[in-house]
Amino acid sequence: MRKLVQSFIAVLLLSLLLLYVSNRLNEAEGYAGDNTLIVYNWGDYIDSELITMFEKQTGLKVIYQTFDSNEAMMAKIAQGGTTFDVAVPSEYAVSKMKEEGLLLPLDHKKLPNLKYIDPRFLNLSFDPNNRYSVPYFWGTVGIVYNRDMLGGKKITSWNDLWDKDLRNQILLVDGAREVMGMALNSLHYSLNDTNKAHLEEAKRKLDALTPNVKAIVGDEIKMLIANEEAAVGVVWSGDAAEMIAENDKLDYVVPKEGSNLWFDNMVIPKTAKNIDGAHQFINFMLDPKHAAQNAEYVGYSTPNKKALEYLPKEIVDDKRFYPDFDSIEHLEVYENLGKRMLAYYNELFLEFKMHRK
Amino acid sequence: MRRLTWGNAYLLIVFIILYTPIVYLLVYSFNSGGTMHHFQGFTLEWYKEVFQDTRLLMIVLNTLIVALLSALISTVLGVIGALAIYYVKSRQVKNTLLTFNNVLIVSPDVIIGASFLILFTLAGIKLGFVSVLLSHIAFSVPIVVLMVLPKLQEMSPTWIDAARDLGANEWHILTKVILPFITPGIFAGFFMALTYSLDDFAVTFFVTGNGFSTLSVEIYSRARQGISLSINALSTLLFLLTIFLVAGYYWISQKGSRLYGMWKK
Repeated sequence: MRKLVQSFIAVLLLSLLLLYVSNRLNEAEGYAGDNTLIVYNWGDYIDSELITMFEKQTGLKVIYQTFDSNEAMMAKIAQGGTTFDVAVPSEYAVSKMKEEGLLLPLDHKKLPNLKYIDPRFLNLSFDPNNRYSVPYFWGTVGIVYNRDMLGGKKITSWNDLWDKDLRNQILLVDGAREVMGMALNSLHYSLNDTNKAHLEEAKRKLDALTPNVKAIVGDEIKMLIANEEAAVGVVWSGDAAEMIAENDKLDYVVPKEGSNLWFDNMVIPKTAKNIDGAHQFINFMLDPKHAAQNAEYVGYSTPNKKALEYLPKEIVDDKRFYPDFDSIEHLEVYENLGKRMLAYYNELFLEFKMHRK
Repeated sequence: MRRLTWGNAYLLIVFIILYTPIVYLLVYSFNSGGTMHHFQGFTLEWYKEVFQDTRLLMIVLNTLIVALLSALISTVLGVIGALAIYYVKSRQVKNTLLTFNNVLIVSPDVIIGASFLILFTLAGIKLGFVSVLLSHIAFSVPIVVLMVLPKLQEMSPTWIDAARDLGANEWHILTKVILPFITPGIFAGFFMALTYSLDDFAVTFFVTGNGFSTLSVEIYSRARQGISLSINALSTLLFLLTIFLVAGYYWISQKGSRLYGMWKK
């Protein structure tokens, strides 16, 4: 009995000691109190130096949390329990969150740097007058491929992926809209198609692709393709830019049948506690110098017109990532298809994922 | 020297298979190349990175605090639970209680985690330290019960009768007879709860939030962005800590039994 009581007290004292140390550390770091700002962003989607800079400039402490899909992010915000101050959803998620009342309107007076954004990226259909969101990055979905591993063969269209020579060589990004959109585009349908017959046809076409698909993966696709684990990947443009920076045998193409054009946007969710800090953070990220530094690190295309002046010429002139506007006119932006249609997309995608080789 | 028998060779192979990944990870934590292939040279840079990353250190601390506290509380609750089950007279009730206990152990972590998330949101508990601690206590209690109960059943009921004959009241029976006998079971339960809490991912993943995170969740979210070798360094440190703890536990129990032996003489 004595031994038990002694051990009990020892463990209790030890944990209290650790609790004390951790609280002191928290205070020393400034994480305690109202001095914090919780940013909820995609994984590896910001230059962490900028966060340090922002903390120095404002005295706020940034807690940076990450998500891996719009759906996961919306679920966490809708569910409550966490006080996110800034989030970065894609355009169709913005319109969905707006509908569900998950966003707070922005105070444009507190965002003077908004004037640097290219007017082509403002006042878009998913958020008229940018009441709730400001653009963070934009890009396309396309194919990254390894020239050497394909023996010099060029890929220009989605339909090239169904080539028998690519057996077990393709990695797909794990997103229902991306993969279904690819199949729909390859059949020359719109990637916002809601015709069930078209969707079933797309699903059958995807099933025919399975012998060529090596895996369906998340963010690790960057590492896998750069390390030449597979020759071809269906990815977002910024991921492609990062891979190309690591492995110069890679090339990126936006397929000629059409593809997705997307925008990620900074918003303030209704869970926000530090609304003033959130505005400061958004305005900080809109500063041309900061936007340029961020774009260089992340590899996606910045909508900040003034920031282009601070970026190296070879990045801005790269037509793969900063295409002329007439060459991306045939690209489509995801529309909010509604809950039922989205569930149907997800269901078909899940069936495809479970399809046996 | 003894000849290498087939049995030993088998044992050796199993150990090699189990330890190779850990050694691989350990070796590459010293790689100056920055990747998990091509060892380029020795460096301590990744260890420096770990110790400069206060957020990471705080998470390590959080993980330890949650593990210790949850193991402690669930041990107390689990021992009380095991005693309650032991004292139940009806065989049927006893079996029902045990089944309810075991269902919690075999049900998938994902379901437990999701149900906790729903519960905490409904109850208005902010996700963070408290929610993680509560859920860890909840999934550790059944384990402690399961570790303590066999010890209770092993104990001969005649001891309790004897104690009663000698004039002991219920409190004396509990503290002087039962608890000393089941002490090894209690310690085993505590350590099981500790390790379960330390490496739990699925449940914790659901109930973390507001900047609070534990090591397994943090490593997962970092690994998604491509493994930095600082994760290797951290894993190596944790591995060494575990070895140290195991060795310490072994030493204490060895010393304990020796003292016990001396006292008996």
